[in-house]
Amino acid sequence: MSTQSSVAEIPVSQAAKASEGIHTDTTAKYFLISAVAYFFIVGIIALIIAAKFVWPQMLGTVSYLTYGRLRPLHVNGMLFGWLLACDMGLIYYFVPRLCGVKLWSEKLGVATAMLWNFIILSAVVTLLLGLNQGLEYAELVVPLDVLVVVAWVMFGANIFMTIATRKYQQMYVSLWYVMGTILWTAFVYLTGNFAVLMATGVNQANLNWMYVHNAVGLIFTPAGLAIAYYFIPKSSNTPLYSHKLSMVGFWSLAFVYVWTGAHHMLHGPISQWLQTIAIVFSVMLLVPVWAVVYNFFATMKGQWHQLKDNVPLKFLMSGVVFYLLTCFQGPMHSLRAVNAIVSKTDWIPGHAHMAVLGAFSFFAIAGSLYILPRMFKTALYSDTLANWSFWFFMIGGLGFFVTLWLGGFWQGWQWNNPAIPFIDTVVALQPVWLVRFFSGIFMFIGIALYAYNVMATVLRVQSTPEAPPKAVAATV
Amino acid sequence: MYSGDYVYPSIYFAYFLFLIFLVGAIYFFLKSYRDGYWGEEGESIKYQVWADEEKPRQGDK
Repeated sequence: MSTQSSVAEIPVSQAAKASEGIHTDTTAKYFLISAVAYFFIVGIIALIIAAKFVWPQMLGTVSYLTYGRLRPLHVNGMLFGWLLACDMGLIYYFVPRLCGVKLWSEKLGVATAMLWNFIILSAVVTLLLGLNQGLEYAELVVPLDVLVVVAWVMFGANIFMTIATRKYQQMYVSLWYVMGTILWTAFVYLTGNFAVLMATGVNQANLNWMYVHNAVGLIFTPAGLAIAYYFIPKSSNTPLYSHKLSMVGFWSLAFVYVWTGAHHMLHGPISQWLQTIAIVFSVMLLVPVWAVVYNFFATMKGQWHQLKDNVPLKFLMSGVVFYLLTCFQGPMHSLRAVNAIVSKTDWIPGHAHMAVLGAFSFFAIAGSLYILPRMFKTALYSDTLANWSFWFFMIGGLGFFVTLWLGGFWQGWQWNNPAIPFIDTVVALQPVWLVRFFSGIFMFIGIALYAYNVMATVLRVQSTPEAPPKAVAATV
Repeated sequence: MYSGDYVYPSIYFAYFLFLIFLVGAIYFFLKSYRDGYWGEEGESIKYQVWADEEKPRQGDK
């Protein structure tokens, strides 16, 4: 694979040189490398379960490889093993830089990374053994839930102490989102993994769905936006359009998002007033979303040509478009009439994958491609490979999303027709699942190219004591 | 409510947590006004992204 000169290579400034030694980035490296490894491994699991939709007999009746065990492994592996770990790695990278100080404790950070990896590996073992609490997104056994809380406290303490010792009084919007992520995750995770165990029936479902929706809305959304707000100006070398508008987006997200979970149970046995509240707040989500998206688009005004050869920016701005689409779908899906058709159908995974893969994983991939050369003080192994991975993700992702949206509507209309036996609706969706499987192959090739690019960059540094001078990154 | 039924305590716990966060959010939202995030100088914060660099940026005054 030939290497091109990276667009990210810019002359090293004196100030950057002076502060080169401040940040060791050990924690960020641990989190990033392990996250990419899980992305690849869990990608294989994802392909297997996509194949099982089309060929249910595949892998026979080996209990460890049944759909019921692999699906929660895919969900937890992608959410906590890949995305959240990558987000944490990026946060460990940019928070000290935005504060103008070193990370409060690199040792605590490394310990957090070790504990996080232990949790993920334990999750793989326990889920394959069938130890599962049977709650969406909260499948992990209680001891692992407790360890997640411990790890999160370690992470939060490190980040908050870094922010507390910052050089600048006012905080850039990414820091607001990071602090929000840490606090909201604590609230959402405790409710969804502990309080939910004490409730039963509809009340339990209500708490569970508050957790599930807010796992995306109050954990991955603020973490993803923190990353986007930092890396879009950085990688395009263009100031954010408006910091005040970013504050509008942040505070409207803070006050609106938490009430939306109940829209997953419309037309169910929960009270009508709660359903109405969920709908109202879901529609109000358009405010923070459009504030954020307008800010990013306005930032890029006159700079769109940079997308031609700036791969991180390609991922970032595609992620912004997917974020806009996802967050238009969400409010529309929460309307009673639409919900009556698409709720519980395959439209939901189509929508959720566009959020978690199309928007937030794109942000995380972009951030990792941007910081990798800077952390390891070398050029990215291959910009061409990064570009290819982008297109595989994009084509595979679009095939996946669009197919499941259409399939989901089709499925919903069939379910609403009492004359059609349920099993016929399952058989009818096989062509949709076949397209999903082949789209999954494209996405997995994207993952494989991206992971290879990351590992090749890292391993080249390990084997090269002296990095080429031109490759030393400018930003620190 | 029979003994051992934790449905309502768990819901009260969740709403209590929510209340804490709501109060905290309102407090910090009001504090952000006092700290100058919405005033005339509010836009200068966006340049912190390049605080330790010297390279001029597009549109930089």
